[in-house]
Amino acid sequence: MTLALELALVVFVVATAVATALLRDIVASIAVFAAFSLGISVIWVILQAPDVALTEAAVGAGVMSVLLLVTVAKTGRLSDEGALLSVNPRALTAVGLLLLVLLSTVPALPDVGGPDAPALQKTVDGEATPYGYYVEEAYEETGVKNSVTAVLVYYRGFDTFGEATVVFSAVVGVLVALGGSRRWGEE
Amino acid sequence: MRYSYFESPIVMTTVRLVAPFSLTYGIFVTLHGAESPGGGFQGGVVVAATVIMIAFAFGARPAVEWVDERVVVGVFAGGVLAFGAVALGTVPLGGAILQVDVLPIKTKYGIEVIEVFIGAIVAGVVTSLFFLLTEGGDQE
Repeated sequence: MTLALELALVVFVVATAVATALLRDIVASIAVFAAFSLGISVIWVILQAPDVALTEAAVGAGVMSVLLLVTVAKTGRLSDEGALLSVNPRALTAVGLLLLVLLSTVPALPDVGGPDAPALQKTVDGEATPYGYYVEEAYEETGVKNSVTAVLVYYRGFDTFGEATVVFSAVVGVLVALGGSRRWGEE
Repeated sequence: MRYSYFESPIVMTTVRLVAPFSLTYGIFVTLHGAESPGGGFQGGVVVAATVIMIAFAFGARPAVEWVDERVVVGVFAGGVLAFGAVALGTVPLGGAILQVDVLPIKTKYGIEVIEVFIGAIVAGVVTSLFFLLTEGGDQE
């Protein structure tokens, strides 16, 4: 059951990704891209990464699509001659070969969440890995059940503060570039 | 080409139904990042997505008149300042920068307070991006 669902999701995600790249109408492309993000977010849920799934659904499928649509509405779209963009055969061959090379490494990877997965080793040569440390100690030290939150705010709080200031700086840049001399909402 | 608004009763009714729940969910996710998936970033984005959804359904023009730029900028700038204040505030209490466990409250609540600041930053930033793209600047 889960395998069938996973396969269907992978097919869906790959199909929407290809459609995003090939569709000529940019509004259709954005709509398909939103569907792609939604598919990816369901995959995150299956991979037991609900924090990432929430972000993907809200940012990828929601906010990003709206921002792209607004930008298209402001700048104009391609004239519609045919539904799909033409594909350069040589570029397609190069991308296909690269894809084959990358896919050939997949069988060598450990199972996701399997006991041999390097990311799930609690100790390596007797020393606790970051994963092992957080899983064993995070609740004791912080009282926080979601260890992702504990890592983000408690153990790596300085990085999170850096991210917050990066986002802040970015929007200040947009304010300067697009804000103009009047406030939004003013005539 | 100006951003054109098309009034759709289906979209408006749907958004009117969904918005209270998604807003509540965004606040819930922000406040419960310690117990369940999510946190300030996810919650802030869901809150901002609700604002954008309403603006998308009912037109950016009325929404932009309703949401004052100074308030939104104040929210995210205040979030960064408050985060910075907590970050430095742990130093006089004898800890390192951002060492939340020296605060006089339980570590868990210290973390949740920071999550709320992160939520304010993200919600304010994403809302700003949307309104700046639709209605910002000197338009001819």
